[in-house]
Amino acid sequence: MAQMNDKISELQTGIPGHYALEHDPDDLWGESRVIVNIGPTHPAMHGALRMVAKLNGETIEKSYCEFGYTHRAKEKLGENRTYHQFIVYTDRLNYCSALTNNVTYAMSIERLMGLEVPERAIWLRMISVELARVIDHLICIGISAVDLGAFSFFLYGFQQREEAYSLIEALCGARLTTSYTRIGGLANDAPDGWERQVKEWVKKTRKVIDEMDELLTGNRIWHQRTVGVGAISKEDCLRYSFTGPNARASGLDVDLRRDSPTMFYRDVEFDVPVAQNGDVFDRYLIRLEEIRQSLNIITQCCEKLKKGPIWVEDKRVRIPDKDVVHNTMEGLIHHFKFFMTGFDVPAGEAYTPFEASNGELGFYVVSKGGPYAHRMRIRGPSVFHYQALSKMADGGKIGDMVAILGSINVIAGELDR
Amino acid sequence: MDIRTRVSTIYGDQIERFGAQWKAQVEELRAAHPGAVESVLWPESYPTDVPIVFVTRDQILTVLTQLRDNPGMEYNFLSDITATDEGDEHGRFHVVYHLFSPKNGWRLRLKVRVSEGQEVPSATAVWPAANWVEREVWDMFGVKFSGHPDLRRILMDQRWVGHPLRKDYPLRGYQLFPDPAPVDQSLLE
Amino acid sequence: MSKDGSAAYFTTRLDDFVNWGRKNSLWPLPFGTSCCGIEMMATLASGYDMARFGAEAIRFSPRQADLLIVAGIINTKMAPVLKNVYDQMSEPKWVMSFGACASSGGIFNVYSVTQGIDTVIPVDVYVPGCPPAPEGVLHALMRLQERVAQGETFAQRRERQMRNKLELER
Repeated sequence: MAQMNDKISELQTGIPGHYALEHDPDDLWGESRVIVNIGPTHPAMHGALRMVAKLNGETIEKSYCEFGYTHRAKEKLGENRTYHQFIVYTDRLNYCSALTNNVTYAMSIERLMGLEVPERAIWLRMISVELARVIDHLICIGISAVDLGAFSFFLYGFQQREEAYSLIEALCGARLTTSYTRIGGLANDAPDGWERQVKEWVKKTRKVIDEMDELLTGNRIWHQRTVGVGAISKEDCLRYSFTGPNARASGLDVDLRRDSPTMFYRDVEFDVPVAQNGDVFDRYLIRLEEIRQSLNIITQCCEKLKKGPIWVEDKRVRIPDKDVVHNTMEGLIHHFKFFMTGFDVPAGEAYTPFEASNGELGFYVVSKGGPYAHRMRIRGPSVFHYQALSKMADGGKIGDMVAILGSINVIAGELDR
Repeated sequence: MDIRTRVSTIYGDQIERFGAQWKAQVEELRAAHPGAVESVLWPESYPTDVPIVFVTRDQILTVLTQLRDNPGMEYNFLSDITATDEGDEHGRFHVVYHLFSPKNGWRLRLKVRVSEGQEVPSATAVWPAANWVEREVWDMFGVKFSGHPDLRRILMDQRWVGHPLRKDYPLRGYQLFPDPAPVDQSLLE
Repeated sequence: MSKDGSAAYFTTRLDDFVNWGRKNSLWPLPFGTSCCGIEMMATLASGYDMARFGAEAIRFSPRQADLLIVAGIINTKMAPVLKNVYDQMSEPKWVMSFGACASSGGIFNVYSVTQGIDTVIPVDVYVPGCPPAPEGVLHALMRLQERVAQGETFAQRRERQMRNKLELER
């Protein structure tokens, strides 16, 4: 066996005093390469993603990624289901933050119809979106920590998620796939005292986030595994259409909540964290800080919440209440027509982007005037993020690839639709 | 009901903010590349949220490059590339490009009419992000992109027959394969 | 062993003991594809702890696991992969179909989704729900444990039934 050249270099970690061994791989392996299929089922629990890598020792020389193993044809279903029936399918897009997808879809159809949603519904929608953002970030950093070996970090985050699930269950009845919004409003109102429970949860989560921060942020092993790994520059972010926390970690300061505010984002104060290096460590820090900012937004929204209606009283979209349906003929017929044929959305098209937990989630809806959409295009941010995985992982080790995949938060529901 | 009577609580007030800039940008495009812009649908007269610019097939890359680089436009972010099956007699498919300018906040939509069998120049030269979304358009609609580095199916299996999002493709009825898709070594060169 | 071939007291006690061991240490292979994968993670996490049932040691290698939990959608691109993974598992093996999408295709009756994994592999227990509540999953796990205690996997039972049927026809 050829001799190894050991060169000690300070560069690998970027932290003075921390050295890493760097040896010349060609001495050991010569010309042989191994092709590894990191197949659709793999221990990193990120959904069914496939990556085929050509390895030189442990270094990935070239790789290509495939997806489509959870393709559920939602865009085709959008053309074959009424607008109300499609709400159920939107939950299953980014299933870690289902409320955000519901809200974005409802906003896109309300734009086409020119509906004005009542105030209480908008505040509740904002609370749901930020709640969904918190639980999505908790799952992302939890799973990326599990991939790199830090299991108790994941359990702390999941305990808070369980309590958030109880809140969401009190709000709309389901833990994960909520289907909470309706076109023009919300399905049901928050129960009495819900805001108080949310504020208590926020207080507890702030403490837990500080604990989680202490666990990992200063940890030397975490630094060695994540600092400098999978860095992507700001220009590459623009060229690869990165959005959301992944883009802000590279210095691209775009946040649609602040720049093109919808709902009542103009009336709440929050900061948008932006980092510089764009590596895995920065993405982790950005997500942690965004959780804190979202908790601030939730507290402010809970204080501004006032009593009022939650569904616009527009005959086209408002499903009559059950007592009206059971006791009046008109209510019965209205209910029947609504569910059997659906309501017509006037002809037009609109692209509605929103700052979801992962980036810019967009619904491009083309309507020709009937009860079904002519084209329901869902722009999922994960597609663009996963596209750049080959670029970020090539040249690094397999262990680095696992860290990068965890940090870019690829959700198979959004990717494959 | 009018898409123009939008309320700012639902979405921002794009027409008031960008109406003049959009008009200036389209004028500049028409002046720089005569014949590239076939027609424009303005939000004031057509139910859309941003202007829709119909571009000819062979000039789409020059238009995209101009929109990206020109200082008055700066649409340097590609939001999405998709397609719709319109059944139009001038071109069955409309390939739709959504552009965004993070610095200024304005958005634009470009459309290219393509008939069956015609090809559209690929936008991967302008943005590498266009790679996979164009593959998806090929997979779902059957619109080919010339100059694309790697045009193969992305969501469906490589052996799938048919383009699912076309209007004449049924919703149900699937094709089963006996073994998983093999590793394609030519992609690792 | 008695003359007609049925097992005697000692071997049945041994069988019971082995089945008791098996049912209390079902090691799952979480084949989580989509949203049900998140609920499966929640069931494995500290709130609804599946470790109480002995199913803590999740093994991602089919050779080392004996319970295949298929959580999420299986579409036509993934079905051969699922069959491969199932074939690689060694006997005795059980399959839990977690969620509506795995049991019957769920709300997705479309061109790319298999309408239930039982078109591809034999299933022992189905858990309905979209996604199922973790309490439902634990109930299904306990029902599966009762089935394991009876001593046969689905594949073995089917094989026995086919053998009986062939004998009757002879």
